[in-house]
Amino acid sequence: MRVLIVVPALNEESGLPPLLTELRAVAQRDRFSADIVVIDDASTDQTAEVAREHGARVVRLCRNLGIGGAVQTGLRLALREDFDCAVQMDGDGQHPPSELRKLLAVIDTPAAPDIVVGSRYLHGEGFQSTLPRRMGSGWLSWVLRLVTRQRTTDPTSGYRAYGPRALRLFSWSYPHDYPEPEALVLAKVAGLRVVEVPVVMKERQGGASSISILHAPYYMLKVTAAILLAYARSWHRIEPRTL
Amino acid sequence: MQQAEQYWLFAAFCCVVATLLLRLVLRERITIQSSLWVFFSLAALVVLAVVPNLTTSIAHAMGFALPSNFFFAIATGALALLHVHTLVTLSRTEARSITLTQELGILREKLDRIEKDGSHARPTLGGAPTLPPPRKSDAPHERT
Repeated sequence: MRVLIVVPALNEESGLPPLLTELRAVAQRDRFSADIVVIDDASTDQTAEVAREHGARVVRLCRNLGIGGAVQTGLRLALREDFDCAVQMDGDGQHPPSELRKLLAVIDTPAAPDIVVGSRYLHGEGFQSTLPRRMGSGWLSWVLRLVTRQRTTDPTSGYRAYGPRALRLFSWSYPHDYPEPEALVLAKVAGLRVVEVPVVMKERQGGASSISILHAPYYMLKVTAAILLAYARSWHRIEPRTL
Repeated sequence: MQQAEQYWLFAAFCCVVATLLLRLVLRERITIQSSLWVFFSLAALVVLAVVPNLTTSIAHAMGFALPSNFFFAIATGALALLHVHTLVTLSRTEARSITLTQELGILREKLDRIEKDGSHARPTLGGAPTLPPPRKSDAPHERT
């Protein structure tokens, strides 16, 4: 199976070297072959140079597109170069490469789902985030369950593997505002099968979250509205048979 | 019957705005297509401002007691429509800009590799450099 690991990165010059080194070690240990591409989302530091030095392919975006645009760039690359699967993981060290095999083990099966989401809450192991974030995640899970009729424990997880049908869907249309939860709605409407697997995540190794405690309620309100709107909009746009 | 009032000052203001728009179109700062809506709206407002009987008739037919209220309401409505039109244009432009940025990034990566290696060889984790298969298509997707 040809795998492309997509790492969206914005000013991650300090976080990338350990991640890429560990990825290489894990690939040798678990004996899988994969390309790794860092999507440099218009960083102002040496992110691209550092990634190249550590053997990764680098796609430099000439302007900041946000996480959604950066991830979609990687998925487009995967589709164009006929990769069988793409794995999205953060460049800030939250997603340990050692957990990669759990995602690949599920996506590399005959009856594989279209999307495999690594969930930090499914078994409750590793870093579990702060209480307000867990509450927010719980709320989003409830809204998603209401809309998609499917249980999702970690709707904001960015540790995901995409199969061929998901690559085709998200290369064509990928949400940019609140991509992770919205993408699950899009996948559901398109008739894709989404499966969660338990993974262990770490605390952010560098940088700061874009959502502060003061902005959290507003963020939750916006994401809830976005999920409902994405659901309503998607019904008019997606033809699952074309995927 | 009271003589209907003509809003010459407002008509003159609309003409000034139309002239400014025209200058922008001639200098290619804005496109003809995107400015047509504004021109049509301004023309309608000028007609209503200088033909008061028409304004009064329409205002009464639509249930407005005063033509000025009707005038204010349609001006507000026209502005709201123009704003929506601008939002649609901006969103479409943003979607195209995102697609172009992504395609540019992918092509630049490909070009960098070709220039650096003189081939399509690329680094691969856990194995030797591999050659990519032929591309499915280089055509960018429309929707993002």
